[in-house]
Formats: sequence, structure tokens, C-alpha cells
Amino acid sequence: MARQAKQKLGHELIPWRLYVVVGFVLLLFCSLVARAAYIQIIEPDKLRHESDMRTLRTTSNQVQRGLITDRNGDMLAVSVPVRAVWADPKHAHDQDAFKDMRRWQALADVLQEPVDELVRKVKNNPKKRFVYLKRQVTSAVADYIEQLKIGGIYLKSESRRYYPAGETAAQLIGITNIDDVGIEGIENTYNTWLTGTPSKQKVRKARDGSVVERLDIVQEGESSNDLVLSIDQRIQQLAYRELKRATEVYQATSGSVVVIDVTTGEVLAMVNTPSYNPNARDNLQPHRMRNRALTDTFEPGSTIKPFVVAAALDSGTVKVNELISTSPGWMRIGGRQVRDSSNYGDMTLAKILVKSSNVGISKLSLSMPVEQLLGTYQSMGLGNYTGINLTGESAGLIHNRHRWSDFERATLSFGYGLTATPLQIARMYATLGSGGILYPVSILKLRQPPKGEQVISNKVAYDVMEMLVGVTETGGTGTKAHIDGYPVAGKSGTSRKAVAGGYGDDYVALFAGVAPVHNPRLAISVVINEPKGDKYYGGDVSGPAFAKIMSGALQMLNVEPISEQEAVNLATARGAQNNVIK
Amino acid sequence: MSQSPLNLPRIVLHDIWHHKWVLLLSVLVVLNGVAVVYTSHVTRKLITQWDQLLQEQDRLDIEWRNLLLEEQSQSEHSRVTRMATKELNMSRPLPKEEVIIRVQ
Repeated sequence: MARQAKQKLGHELIPWRLYVVVGFVLLLFCSLVARAAYIQIIEPDKLRHESDMRTLRTTSNQVQRGLITDRNGDMLAVSVPVRAVWADPKHAHDQDAFKDMRRWQALADVLQEPVDELVRKVKNNPKKRFVYLKRQVTSAVADYIEQLKIGGIYLKSESRRYYPAGETAAQLIGITNIDDVGIEGIENTYNTWLTGTPSKQKVRKARDGSVVERLDIVQEGESSNDLVLSIDQRIQQLAYRELKRATEVYQATSGSVVVIDVTTGEVLAMVNTPSYNPNARDNLQPHRMRNRALTDTFEPGSTIKPFVVAAALDSGTVKVNELISTSPGWMRIGGRQVRDSSNYGDMTLAKILVKSSNVGISKLSLSMPVEQLLGTYQSMGLGNYTGINLTGESAGLIHNRHRWSDFERATLSFGYGLTATPLQIARMYATLGSGGILYPVSILKLRQPPKGEQVISNKVAYDVMEMLVGVTETGGTGTKAHIDGYPVAGKSGTSRKAVAGGYGDDYVALFAGVAPVHNPRLAISVVINEPKGDKYYGGDVSGPAFAKIMSGALQMLNVEPISEQEAVNLATARGAQNNVIK
Repeated sequence: MSQSPLNLPRIVLHDIWHHKWVLLLSVLVVLNGVAVVYTSHVTRKLITQWDQLLQEQDRLDIEWRNLLLEEQSQSEHSRVTRMATKELNMSRPLPKEEVIIRVQ
């Protein structure tokens, strides 16, 4: 009975127990719901933040500096991504990175630096957060360092600029500094064009580091632009080789060559000596980095004479076949003397240029108003910027005053009392070649032909070129600039360098000209500064380099040479024409 | 209760038929949910792939730049000239030695 009662008791419902249990369950459920509601509705931000902290990352893509190429697509400057090795000394200390010195030894070996030095850099500044250990290491080295896994040593992307053209175009292209900012030459002038800014983007990353979601763009980047220069690297190379040879042979202090395309005003080559290797920046010397072809001015000497003739012909004060008396080979102007190397007697304009007669050219200058001469000089670009738009360009100097003594007017005609850059000289001869049309000089490859300005008449330009042919032929002052197959209209020049209080013993040897005369394509000026040897005349020093560069460049451009027979025909046609006018 | 015997399946079917739109919608909701999950999965996979392709592009760009440099140094004009003259005994013809062939 008692057992039965016990059993019965077991089946009997005891309500309060049930309520307690149900109550607990409900309470649990409610608190879960409340917690869920709290997390989801009332305070969702905290967990979202926690999640974002673990998955959201900002990535930035690296933008490489734009390429610089020559007109045919040859690379002149290329940026290659490299890495910088840096240390966070605080992290290194916190992670006890100095325990395993073998790793440091390996790091020092691969960076080729003494291990003590490296360790000292990191160890001695435990509070610092950033120290560069080595910049611009290649990616192979960077991967190796990554695998060394030294605490507190990190890698950072950066880029390194390589200049495949090396020293041949060093001054023109310029260089960038270690932070990829252009500091010289074209790199400097077109820095903003070449530089891009990286874009930054927020992404969500999975645990294995792969991107699973791209969120908003934090910073809109700007891609960099490439630059196509008007330079023809083949001609640039040739010009540099010849100029370097001439500079060495004549022990000159410096030299410049400019090659201009007559028909467009584009610069095909611009070289200077002494040069430097832009890929090794350890010992840069400022005097080697200057682009002398457009920064340095000098008195142009006799190379200016053809433009005196052009001015005189243009103003109509002389005729093409007029004879000018230069006997007795010297003349006195205002108490000073102008002299020729010998007494040439009566000379044609052509002969004045061929023999480079100072007396003859002075008489021409004095026959016209000085404003006419200066006006012609200026209209051909002297005393003005050429439009090339590069850092450091010099405009040269032409005095602009009202009073000129007769002697000064004479000196102006043989290239003293005014200064010009090699680029300006080349441009003046290009203007002759283009039939008197002055084009702005361009260092960038032009998409469409530029608009030129007719500064002297077509006929005058042609006549002066015809006269200049004799300079490189037998009896002229520039026979060493003669080229078989391409008749040259050029002029040599030798000017004494001005020093404080007068003129010193140093010379500038020049040769400038256009070729081929019957269909001008290139204008070249060769300037060799302070040749030290026995020879210092422009025709002897600069002439041979001019001939080599001109003939090589014309060949590269596939300009058809004329045969000897054709050359004779042209010459007789010239003579016949002259006779007819007589 | 007695005049119509209880036919449970019939009632159920009837009920289903009666609420067919609701049922259809709920099935669609479930399918939609699955589709959303699937699409976001595919999207993530595509984005990952995209990212990998971008990295590949960067890698190829670096390689291209290095190859450019190599090409440039191998084909440098002075080097070619040197090799042509020294190893192949070639020389540049003078302008007067050039023969011009006109193609008409």
C-alpha cells in the first residue's frame, strides 16, 4: 500500500515545479531574445566595428612614374618597382628580435652592409618607430628578407628609375631623386605630367588574405602619363659619340651638339660633354648635369655672319652679286681696327662668307641701319626663349639700346657683343633651311606640323644657303665639314671668350649648318668650349664632328645622297644662275 | 459529424489549394534566400579572382618593365654598332657608296 501510494505520488503533477521550470525556460528565452535584440537593434555598432577591425583593409595600388621614350619608342626612362627595407625599432625590441643573430647576419649579407651597423641602427633607438635600412632593393632580395622573418623589419614598395640611354641623354632627360620626384631636365619640367597618384580603396578580406568585397574608394588615384620626346635615340647616340671624341681629342672643357629637324623645329638630338651616368647617383657633379646646349651662352663669332648677309639682302641695301671692296684687308672704325687674315680685294657676298671676311661683313653691317640687323637677329630667335620650355633655358643677350658706335655695329656683324646658346644657333640655321620660316623648338614629338613664322623671305634664305655651300668646299674655312653626297650650307666660327676686363686666351670653336642644301632636312650646331690643343678654329675642331654627325644622321633618316654628277650639275646651275643675274 | 465522414487528406489538400499563393510565395522566399546566398558566394569568388588577376597584372607589369630594360640594353645602338663592326666585320657605307634602288 505504501508502495502504491509512493507510485501514485510519483505520477501526480506538482504545479509549482512545473511553473518554476517553465519560468526558467521562459526567462532564458527572453534573455536570449533581449540579448539578440540588444545586439541587433539597440547597439549593433560595436560588433560591426569589431568585425570591420578584423576584415576591413585599405589597399593602395602603386602607380609607376610614366615612361619617357624617344620618337621611335626607344625607352629613355623606365620606372621599375622595387622595395625599401625599413625597421620599427620598438617592434624589434618588443619581439625580442636580437635573440637570433644569424638572421641579422643573413640580412646584412644580402644588403651588403656591415652587420654591426645594421644592428646598431635598430638597437640604439628603441623608442623610434621608423628607420630605413636600405632603399631600392630588388624584388628577389626583398623576398629573401621577407622569409628571414626578423621581428620589426618590414618592406615597403617604391620605385626606381632606370635610364637605358645612360650618359648620352643624361642632361636632357635629367634625373629623379630617391623619392621619385624629378629634379633635373625633362623629369623636372614634366614632373606633374609624369607623376601619378595612387588610388586607395577599402576592401574586405577573408582570413586567408584574399579580397572578398570591394567597398568604397577612399582616394581617387590618377594614372601617370607617358612622354614621347622628339629625340631620335640613334642620332642622339651618334652625336654624343662624336662630340665626346672631339672633346677628348682637343682637350676641351665642354661641348654641345644640337640637331634640329628643319621642317618641324623638333629637336632630334641634344648632347653635352662632360656627361654623367644617371643610373649611378653616388657622386653627381653639378657641372656635368647642366644641359649646356640651352643653359650656356657664348658669343657666336663668325657663325652669325650669314644672318648679316640675310639682313642686308632682306633690307635691299645690297644685291646678291654685288662686289664689296675689302682691300687693304683691314679697316679702321672709330679708332679701332677690324682686320682679315689677308687682303682679299673685291669680294662677292658668297666669298665674304666663304673666307669669313671681317672687313666685308663689317661694311655690310655699316651699310644698313643697326635696327635692321638687330631686328633680323631677334626675329630669328636671338635674345628670346626658343619655346622648348625646359628648366634652366637661357635666352641669350642682345642689347636693346639706341646708341651704337660704328665699331660696335661692326663687332655685332661678326658675332661679338651678343650671346646665344647652341640651341639658338641651330635654330637660326634651321630657319635658313626652312626657307626663312621660324618654328618654335619642340622637345616633344609633334602630332601635327607646327605653325611657323616667315621671318626672312624665301629667296633670301635660299640665296644665303647657296653662298654657304662654298664654306665646306676647297678654299673655304670649313673644308673638314664637307660631306660627299650631301652638300652642306654651314659656317664655322671661332670666338674668343670674354673674361673680366676684356678677352682671354680661351676660344669657343663652333660649326653650324644645314644639309642637304637642295632639300634641307637637318640643322646642326656643334659647339666646343675651350679646346686646349694647337687647333682651336671652329672649322678644324667642330667641323669634323659636324660632318660625321650630319652624314650619319641623314643616312639614318634615309635621305637620298646625290651623286657626284648631280653635285656638279647643281654647282653649274648655281654658277649659271649667278651669271644670269650678273 | 456523422453526415460527412472525416477525410483528412482531402481537407489538407483543400487547405493547401486554398492558400496556394501564400505557399507559392513562401517557397519563392526560401528559393530567393538560397539564391541570395549563392549569388553573394559567387560574387565573392569573382571578386577574389578579380583581385588575383589584378595582382597578376602587377606582376606582369613588373616583368614587362624589367624585360624592357633588358631589351633596351641588349639593343643599344652603340652595342649593336660595336658587334656589327667587330664580330660581323660590317661597316656603314659612305653616302657616296650608297646605291639607291627605286621601286616604281
